[in-house]
Formats: sequence, structure tokens, C-alpha cells
Amino acid sequence: MTVQAYLLPRSLPEALGQLAQHGLDVLVMAGGTVAMPLINDGISLPSVVMGLRLAGLDGVERANGRLRIGATTTLTQLLQQNAVPVLREAARNTASWSIRNMGTVGGNLFTPPPGGDVAVALLALDASVTLSSSRSARVVSLADFYTGFMTNELAPDELLAELWVPISNEPTAFLKYGRKHANTPAVVTVAARVTWDGPTVADARIALGAAGPHPIRARDAERLLVGTDLGTDAIAAASAAAARECEPFTDAIATEWYRRRMVGLFVGRALQQLAPGAATEDR
Amino acid sequence: MASTIVTFELGGREVEVLVRPMTTLQSVLRNQLGQTATKDGCRQGGCGSCTVLVDGEPMASCLLPIEDVAGRRVTTLESLTPAEGLHPVQQAFVDEYAFQCGYCTPGMVMLSKALLDHDPAPNDEAIGQALAGNLCRCTGYRPIVDAIRHASGAMSGHDTEPVR
Repeated sequence: MTVQAYLLPRSLPEALGQLAQHGLDVLVMAGGTVAMPLINDGISLPSVVMGLRLAGLDGVERANGRLRIGATTTLTQLLQQNAVPVLREAARNTASWSIRNMGTVGGNLFTPPPGGDVAVALLALDASVTLSSSRSARVVSLADFYTGFMTNELAPDELLAELWVPISNEPTAFLKYGRKHANTPAVVTVAARVTWDGPTVADARIALGAAGPHPIRARDAERLLVGTDLGTDAIAAASAAAARECEPFTDAIATEWYRRRMVGLFVGRALQQLAPGAATEDR
Repeated sequence: MASTIVTFELGGREVEVLVRPMTTLQSVLRNQLGQTATKDGCRQGGCGSCTVLVDGEPMASCLLPIEDVAGRRVTTLESLTPAEGLHPVQQAFVDEYAFQCGYCTPGMVMLSKALLDHDPAPNDEAIGQALAGNLCRCTGYRPIVDAIRHASGAMSGHDTEPVR
């Protein structure tokens, strides 16, 4: 054990003050389900760690048509809210019971692929995040948050304090395909949502997990759907576009070749759930 | 590195330990308190053999810095086992031959106890979902599922024959 100090701030201001003091020397940890395995194995050797479990950042509440999710809300707590059903679906399909009791929604955004399934749902929901420092706080769209593999918009003195999710009645499809039925890393995760202008698609959001260096939007596929009736041809074209534009990888779970094909398949299935005449299922 | 004193509740008693920063609950239980039922499996949160209950909820003790459980209630297999005899979940594991090497058993029993606290009559689907993070390489899981169903009946007062 090489950790020299474990900071346990009791409030956001205290956490931000400690962060300003220690800067990049401190490893920020919430539920510990990603950081602790690396520390236990000696892969990560931080001298100072800040734990957020007692900082009072958890909690879910409705606020002005949006759902505010505190960064350290556990995945189990996320399962208990009813305002955005697809977030329950995403949480239920993430990790195991013990890990959901520890892992947090904010931490899920920092989980490298093929993890980070809740982040995929959040991306399709057009969520945004509040990045707070002792100087200020700014709200960044989740679509702009990721900048690369394990890199993001967060400045060294900033913490991700809360998440904002628009509440709407439009259904969101969420499909996770893994090698087991539960507690499994993703071969691919797809979340999709469309908004309608009468009989035609006004806007579409398709988010992919395990198909790039971080949860990504399938922008080409989304563009192809706008103005269509989400019929068979439109879905086939969008699925093919998503398979082309995604950037999957090979690991112990699946090959790049296989993931790319599964992106096409599961984007198609997700869109079929949203198509007119699909069996309406409250998601 | 400065050591600190952490106080928490273990099996109904207050315990106080002197620890280096970020010592895991798993390590404190096994190495400082001699409670070795909690196993030291993968240290990745991936095998479930270190499962304990914190305020009644299952958690992976290998991922939990001891400072995080200060003032909280920790339940281990040692806390669960009565002075005489066995807890109904333990008895059900014996009756159903729900272990062979026994390494996963403490974690399985703790998780089963938590499951039955939440859902006194879980179906196979609920049991499977709950057990998904606890690996067993001996039994093929079926005897463990049967043991939980058996314990469910025993604890609800409807003592059933072992499920076959």
C-alpha cells in the first residue's frame, strides 16, 4: 500500500478546496469499482486519493423538467427512480448487485470501454454534466465531454458534481449485448431515441458503447434518419452507416470485426423498437 | 504515512482498528480482526468471494477503503452464524450440497441473506440476477439456487423438503 493520504471531504466545497490544493497529484475516486482494482494490483500508484463517498453528492430529484442526478448516486439508487425508465434499464444491465451498490453514475462516465453502459444511455438522452471548481461551475453537454480514450473536458481543479437529464415521454431504446445474461462486459451497447414531427423523424440520437474510445454518437446514422418515416429502408441505411462510422476494438470479449457487425445488428433492433407500429413498451 | 483509527460496527459490536490509509475492509477483517470467512479472491470486485453486508447491503469488501465504513454496520459470515447451530441459509447450503471446495460459500451466503431480506420468495430469475457477481467453479450453481429457495421456505415458516 503506497497511498500516503486518503482524503474524505464531507461536502462539495471541501472537496473542491482539497482538489485546488493537490491538483493533479490526487486521484479522485467515487465508488472505487474502477480505481480500487488498479490500486490493489499496483497498476495505479497514487500518493493521495480523494474519496467522494461521504461528500454528500448523491441523490436524484426532478428539477424544472429535468432529472438532477448527483455524481455519486449509486447505480442501485438509479434503479430506484421512475422519472427516466431507460436509466433503470441501463443500470440493471450494468455489473453485479454488489458493484451497483458501490459504483456511481458519475463514475460510470469515467469507466473505460467496454464498461460505461449507463453513460451510453445518458448520451442518447442528451444529458449534460456540471463541472465544478472552487472558482466556478460550468455545464457541458455529455456529447462534448469526451475528448478521447480516458480523456475528457475536466480541468485538473474540476470535479464532475452532477448530471442533468431531460425528462420526456419519448421512448428510448436500450440494448446491451454481452456474452452472458448478466454482469457482463459489452460486446456492444446501443441506446437510441427519435423525436417526431408528425409522421417523419425530426431528430435522432444513437449512442454506442464498446464501439469507440468512449461512448460515441453515430452521427452519420442519425443524419440519415431525419426526414424519414423510420421504415425498413431507413433503418437498414442507418444501421449500415453506424457499422461504418463506429470505431470498435478487439479485446478478450470480442473482436473489432465482430463488434462492427453487432453494431449494425443492434442499431437496427433498437430503431425497430422505436418505429411506428412497434410493440409499444414502456421503457 | 500516518495511521488513523477507524471505528465501525461489526456483528453488533463496535470495533476500533488502527490502519494505514485506504486499507481495504477485506484486509482489516482478515488480517487485523481474524475474520477469515471473507475470502481474498480476485481483489477486483469480480468474483464475489469477499462479499459482506454494509448497512445490510452487499458490497465487495476488497474495493472498500476501511475509512468509508466508519460508523457503519458491517455484517460478515462470522456475524451471521449463531452461537449454536447454523443460520437457515447456511443450513440450506448444507442440505442442498451447495458447495464443494467452499471458497465462494461465505460470499454466496452473505449475498443470499441480503437477497432474502429484500425478497423473501425470490424466483429463479431473481436469484440468478442477484448471484450474477458471485462465481462458483464447483457446483454449476443449480444447488446454490436450490439452497436459496429452500432457505426461503424455511425462513418464511413453510419448511419445505429440499428442492430436487
